[in-house]
Amino acid sequence: MALALDIADLVKRYPTGTEALKAVSLEIGEGEFFGLLGPNGAGKSTLIHCTTGLAQPTSGEIRVFGHDAIHHYGEARLAVGLAPQDLNLDWFLSVAETLDYHGGYFGMPRRERRERAAELLDAFSLTEKRDDRTRTLSGGMKRRLILARALMHRPRLLILDEPTAGVDVELRLELWQYVQRINAEGTTILLTTHYLEEAERLCDRIAFISDGQIVAQGSSRELADSYGVDSLEDAYLALVGRNELSRAHIAGDLP
Amino acid sequence: MTATQVRFFTLVRREVTRFLKIKRQTLGAPVLETFLYISVFGAALGSRIDKLHGVDYVVFIVPGLIMMAWAMNAFSNNASSILQQKFQRSIDDQLSSPASPLELLLAFSLGGFLRGMIVATITFTAAAILVSIPVEHVLVLLPSLFLVGFFFAQLGVLVGVRAEQFDDVSFYQTFLLTPLIFLGGVFYSAELLPEPFRTLTYFDPVYYMIGLVRYGFLGYSDTSIGLSLLFLLAAALMLFTLNYRLFARGYRLRA
Repeated sequence: MALALDIADLVKRYPTGTEALKAVSLEIGEGEFFGLLGPNGAGKSTLIHCTTGLAQPTSGEIRVFGHDAIHHYGEARLAVGLAPQDLNLDWFLSVAETLDYHGGYFGMPRRERRERAAELLDAFSLTEKRDDRTRTLSGGMKRRLILARALMHRPRLLILDEPTAGVDVELRLELWQYVQRINAEGTTILLTTHYLEEAERLCDRIAFISDGQIVAQGSSRELADSYGVDSLEDAYLALVGRNELSRAHIAGDLP
Repeated sequence: MTATQVRFFTLVRREVTRFLKIKRQTLGAPVLETFLYISVFGAALGSRIDKLHGVDYVVFIVPGLIMMAWAMNAFSNNASSILQQKFQRSIDDQLSSPASPLELLLAFSLGGFLRGMIVATITFTAAAILVSIPVEHVLVLLPSLFLVGFFFAQLGVLVGVRAEQFDDVSFYQTFLLTPLIFLGGVFYSAELLPEPFRTLTYFDPVYYMIGLVRYGFLGYSDTSIGLSLLFLLAAALMLFTLNYRLFARGYRLRA
């Protein structure tokens, strides 16, 4: 299978001396829906930031669809769309301008930007808000716009960093439906989330990251088996060393 | 247009849009300020001051006011714009695009440069309506003003990149820039100052910038035109090189 993301021996050491990534290697195949799970501070966001150019790796290699994402990053960045965890919208822009400017940063001609923006505004039910300033939007609307912005330049690899954190149930289901659809259409997706049921429902494969290292990967079932437990949730609790929080343990089925 | 041209144009457009959307603050306020300077120092006080180097006092101060308008606006625009975008993290949208460090630096620089140029042009037009302003050496005036604008645009970028809070920007503006500009001879000729203030003025780089602009308008200067131009060009290039290195390293922009 061709690789959408190929990370080899990636190290990220911050000037403070903290080693956020310790020789991480990871392969995500083209068309996969891949989940990256781990506790806060495990290195998920750092890995994403290194892939998208928001952090500079200390050493190692990142290739996106075969293109170098660190030194000669032009083609690699064109292929990646990032929906970050923070609602980092530009307060000075309207909803439509947010999409238009993003398309411009990625070199899309005006006509194509206009058509694509209209399509995404419609898909995310933002058409009526198109002229509103971003700071006036509700949290849910901002989350939709962040996702629409990430998709604006038609990336082949979409990175979703905790996309459903703090959103209501309807929007969460709506977003799941949308990302499943674009995955089925061929877009590779890398998802980080703290919601295990989200990962279980959406992802073909999942990797656990802990203390800057990939410690296990496979399907939800394979991960549970590798930790000798029944579910992804129990496998995760084993990863973070909190077996006592397992449902089975609380129900008294486990010692 | 090529994809690179679309991207660069969009990056610049974002900077221009920002200051046009808050034009009361970014264009209106500086123009009013300059108008007040001309009214108070020129019309009210100036009528009691003899001619300076053969011209009316109000005419003597206009070149310095035009230069000050360009310099202050170029600086404050870039420093504020970059810090705001860092603060909101909306700058990540540009940083994760295929834009090179040079494209980003030039686009951020141009925002302040253009705002300074607009305010300086309005200032000149307003002053020309009130008093007759000669333009003696246009071939010295235009390069001098452009270099001053470029220098302060770079200084604004530098401060914006280094700043971590809004207080950092106002610190440089209030405690460094304003004293240097005011004490550089906008409102007086250094030759009129008693010692040691006259000698101290010679250590103020803005004194040489005002000298150049005043020479361009009035044909008179306290300073050597050739040396001042050379100094200004060298200083602007040094600052640009420093900023380019910071952008290439991702200093305080990328983790």
